[in-house]
Amino acid sequence: MSSIQDSLNDLRRADGVKACMLVTNDGLVVAESMGNKFRDDIVAGLASYLSMTTNKALTEAGLAHFDTFTLHAAHGKSVLVDLGEAFLVVLLDQFADLEQSRGEIQGTAQRLRRSAKMSR
Amino acid sequence: MNLIQRLKIWKELRRLEQRVREEPSPSTFVDLGQVFINLDMLDRALQAADDGLLLFPDSQELQKLRDFAWRGVNRARVDDLRSKLNKAANSKLYRDLASAYLETGDQGALHATCEEWSVRFPSDPGPSLLLGQSRLAGYYRDFSAREGLEAVQHLERALGLDARERKARLLLAEVFYRIGAIQRSKALLDAMTSPQDDADLQNLRRQVAAARPLGNDIEALFRNAEESGVLPNAPPTASLPPLRTEDGIGSIRDSLAGIAEMPGVRKATYIKGTRALVKGDIKDGKDAFLRTIRVVAKAGHRFSRRLDIGSFKKGVLQGPFGVICICCYGEVLAAVQCDATAQVDRILAELQEVVASSLYAMGVSQ
Repeated sequence: MSSIQDSLNDLRRADGVKACMLVTNDGLVVAESMGNKFRDDIVAGLASYLSMTTNKALTEAGLAHFDTFTLHAAHGKSVLVDLGEAFLVVLLDQFADLEQSRGEIQGTAQRLRRSAKMSR
Repeated sequence: MNLIQRLKIWKELRRLEQRVREEPSPSTFVDLGQVFINLDMLDRALQAADDGLLLFPDSQELQKLRDFAWRGVNRARVDDLRSKLNKAANSKLYRDLASAYLETGDQGALHATCEEWSVRFPSDPGPSLLLGQSRLAGYYRDFSAREGLEAVQHLERALGLDARERKARLLLAEVFYRIGAIQRSKALLDAMTSPQDDADLQNLRRQVAAARPLGNDIEALFRNAEESGVLPNAPPTASLPPLRTEDGIGSIRDSLAGIAEMPGVRKATYIKGTRALVKGDIKDGKDAFLRTIRVVAKAGHRFSRRLDIGSFKKGVLQGPFGVICICCYGEVLAAVQCDATAQVDRILAELQEVVASSLYAMGVSQ
């Protein structure tokens, strides 16, 4: 098993994390630890859409791309972490404590940057 | 669940019911609701959430409990309607079932039901009306031209089947007015010859009469709105009396000014539909920051809806620009750009308060 896959599997075991995946900026799945509840291609497509649209809007306002996008919805949360050529997508349940998960998510992002030599 | 577990839960239930009466707080109502859910008494859970929201209208937890219980109750209603339909189909049952799917946002089931309904009752305008309503709700959320055009097609089909279909006519008139097709909207409203207009219709007629026509090419108008991310005309119900009062706007303005003065905050904005209040380092309502917020919130809505995790509520963007915090409910948005060192949690709580209080002022939270 690759170290990228190991990192994602470890992250998915964290409290409140329901699924996580590594996606290229144009929506291709690099690795995933999703379980049965989510379809990786759909999540990847949606995450890519969200990331690209957000970055485009930021650019148009003269701002740089985001590093982290934390989204709270009525029944779940998600975190997108930019890794340069790809990004980490983490889906959490609505009751997840983001403060607690932040360290694990950022740690995983750091490991993925190293593993995939994606650091910017 | 065995008998002993059930008895324990009933005991807990009695204790919680007493606690809710003696020390009401969002968490006691939520605990009570959870016990009702464990006992499969979703209607009682819904009642507990509603009772709690009367006392604590801003509580997110109670809102979540209400959403969950409401979905469960609706599911039971759908099962009941489906079994009745299987025994003896009639148009009213189809309408009720399709309306239930429309309320829950289950697009697939709504389409299947409407298809079945239109095959069995081909002259009934109901299926087209419900599909039109569903498309229209999607359109007002995302401003997607494709969705808007499909909504118009469905609603026009409903009117073609029954020219007296008042709701389809009103919805069409409203969407035409919102995108700027004023003449088409006026033509639809003029054809309504009810002896007495209700307040909504009067309001729509008044706003249509005052609006500036932008043309009659519906497709082009939909595309323009999609590209710009805004509709040229505000919804006819947007100017509800409480918001128009100086108190409503004034309190929002004061809260926003308070947020803009918090340490590290650079820009703060409150956006409702096409209108915006701005504070801090923002020139005017045309500042690019406002468009960014609208676009990110819209993308957040699409992402969370399609991922089936409910509607987008809050977003936090971190980057070299500092932090951008967005709070959202329906078409009301409040957002801030601040330094990375600012107290993001506190700012988010304040933004949430602004959004919640403005909704409360408008009566939406009821």
